[in-house]
Amino acid sequence: MKNREILFKMENVKAYYKLEEVTVKAVDDVSLEIFEDEVIGIVGESGSGKTTLSNVISMNIMKPLTLVEGKVFLKINGEFEEISSMSREEVKKKFWGKEITIVPQAAMNALMPTIKMSKYIEHLAQSHGIDKNELLSKAEKRFEEVGLDPLWLKRYPFELSGGMKQRAVIAIATILNPVLLIVDEPTSALDVVNQKIFLKVLMQMKKMGIVKSIVFITHDIATVRQIADRMVVMYAGKIAEISPIEEIVQKPLHPYTQGLLNSVLTPEPEIRKRGITTIPGAPPNLVNPPSGCRFHPRCSYAMDICKEKVPPLKEIEKNRKVACFLYMEERK
Amino acid sequence: MTFKPMLKFLLRRFVFLLVTYIVATTIVFILPRIIPGNPLAQMLSNLSRVAQANPEAIRAAEKTLMEEFGVDKPILVQYGQFILKALKGDLGTSISYYPRKVIDLIVPVIPWTLVLLLPATLVAWILGNTLGAMAAYRRNTWIDKGVLTAALIVSQIPYYWLGMIFIFLFGVKLGWLPVQGAYSQGTIPSFSWEFFVDALKHYIMPFASIVLSAMGGWAIGMRVMVINELGSDYALFSEYLGMKDKRIFKYAFRNSLLPQITGLALNLGTVLGGSLITEIVFNYPGTGYLLFKALTTLDYPMIQGIFVILIASVYLANFLVDFLYAWIDPRIRLGQEE
Repeated sequence: MKNREILFKMENVKAYYKLEEVTVKAVDDVSLEIFEDEVIGIVGESGSGKTTLSNVISMNIMKPLTLVEGKVFLKINGEFEEISSMSREEVKKKFWGKEITIVPQAAMNALMPTIKMSKYIEHLAQSHGIDKNELLSKAEKRFEEVGLDPLWLKRYPFELSGGMKQRAVIAIATILNPVLLIVDEPTSALDVVNQKIFLKVLMQMKKMGIVKSIVFITHDIATVRQIADRMVVMYAGKIAEISPIEEIVQKPLHPYTQGLLNSVLTPEPEIRKRGITTIPGAPPNLVNPPSGCRFHPRCSYAMDICKEKVPPLKEIEKNRKVACFLYMEERK
Repeated sequence: MTFKPMLKFLLRRFVFLLVTYIVATTIVFILPRIIPGNPLAQMLSNLSRVAQANPEAIRAAEKTLMEEFGVDKPILVQYGQFILKALKGDLGTSISYYPRKVIDLIVPVIPWTLVLLLPATLVAWILGNTLGAMAAYRRNTWIDKGVLTAALIVSQIPYYWLGMIFIFLFGVKLGWLPVQGAYSQGTIPSFSWEFFVDALKHYIMPFASIVLSAMGGWAIGMRVMVINELGSDYALFSEYLGMKDKRIFKYAFRNSLLPQITGLALNLGTVLGGSLITEIVFNYPGTGYLLFKALTTLDYPMIQGIFVILIASVYLANFLVDFLYAWIDPRIRLGQEE
């Protein structure tokens, strides 16, 4: 195992969408650590709280989303700063772009459409108080690194193809060397070839030390396998399982993870033998989630305790955490 | 900006405009002729009173007049003559102001209309957009709420009604401003200081009524568009990159301005036609007032004349906007290259 220096951690975070009449518990009592030099894949179906989790990681907390409980820390210059005690404005000014950058879900339209990209870089330099020529030459270099001709900088974003745009977005997102890069469903709009190029570019950014760690949010398990070191499985606003990627694919512990992996085509013979199955039912409404384990209404192993108690996220094997009573003493 | 695609783009627009111009003038030729009524009837009845009802003399007069205006010929011939003459810059003779030429009647009123509507339209556009953008930038503050409420109310008030309220309040009740005309009766337009002050006094109410009522609509539209743009992906991404709020707002403003420019152009184009009802309410000697008179007397040549000029100005404005648009938005300029 490589060094396990923690870069980011969040403790018992509850982030709810407080609407006029109801509260949506999109992230409910979640603790998570992100290590230096790792790619962490956050997987779950739509509405499982993945994007909300990424918003908490970057402290992009805007009404109606509210941080109800918990703390969020980011290591900056060797020391942990509690970014959850700062306002969104403060975090934005201090860290966004420089320490944390999010590549939003619709990266295709993420670039300002009516100015040239070089102009955009200049504006970025101005905003951060950097010399614009310095940043421009950095942008040229970064473009080359993602496999784009630096001449494209003098063009408008709409002149680029989809895959190129995505790479340009990554090049610009990493221009200030953020330690933590959060990418939200980056590959869903791309064809397989461009997906592969994109993942390669992303890995390269990490290898070159431009970014330290990457949070990769997706519902596509196949891409997570290609890129992530660890996988976080989210279900209904809670973490079901955290595990190194190979181990979770070989032997998923949580029944939901099993169902998730069984619903994907994979080339391995032992997995192919299992065939494809689907998880019955639909994800719960987060306004009023089920009692106990949130997965129990859909779980074929559900026991009495699952309906009453919330299973804690516990380390079952080395580096593997799961929130399921099947693996705990309390099961009887 | 590269020169060649721009030129090609503009050339294509120009040809398109030429074709639509021909279609539009044809419609303008046909429409007044569909209105029931005989344009010469009014003239002849006046004549009959003067000429002691000598039927023969009247019939002779009618014949000459019909020849003069060409209304005795088949409609296609009339149309051909209209086009040929119009190309030579001859818009014909007015029926209701016989024997004065249409062009001589239109030209003197054009400056009055331009002086009133050009600044009013522009000021309303600039003020409205600025207020709307300000409201969007300070969303959910008292500025936003104030602007939105005021804009909603003002935009729903008909401008002529506002004009009448103004006349009643400032003209009749308070007596601060003159109630009608573009200058005091009896004064002769000149470039003297006295005349300027006099005209300015007459100018304030029609100007203010147009600006106020047009401003609200611009403000509401702009506010919604800027809010929309501020929530778009590029604005979010810029924020994630630590771009300053002011810069993101500038982006949103720039992108919201594009549709507003189209609106402005369409408005500016119709400026030459005058603001029909405002000019009637204030008895203001503009093209709108002239058109109103021409319509009520079925003065074919005059109606045609005003519209020929009006349509040309609408097209000119459109053409200029296309040019402007291509300059501001690269997607339009470069998108048509292939």
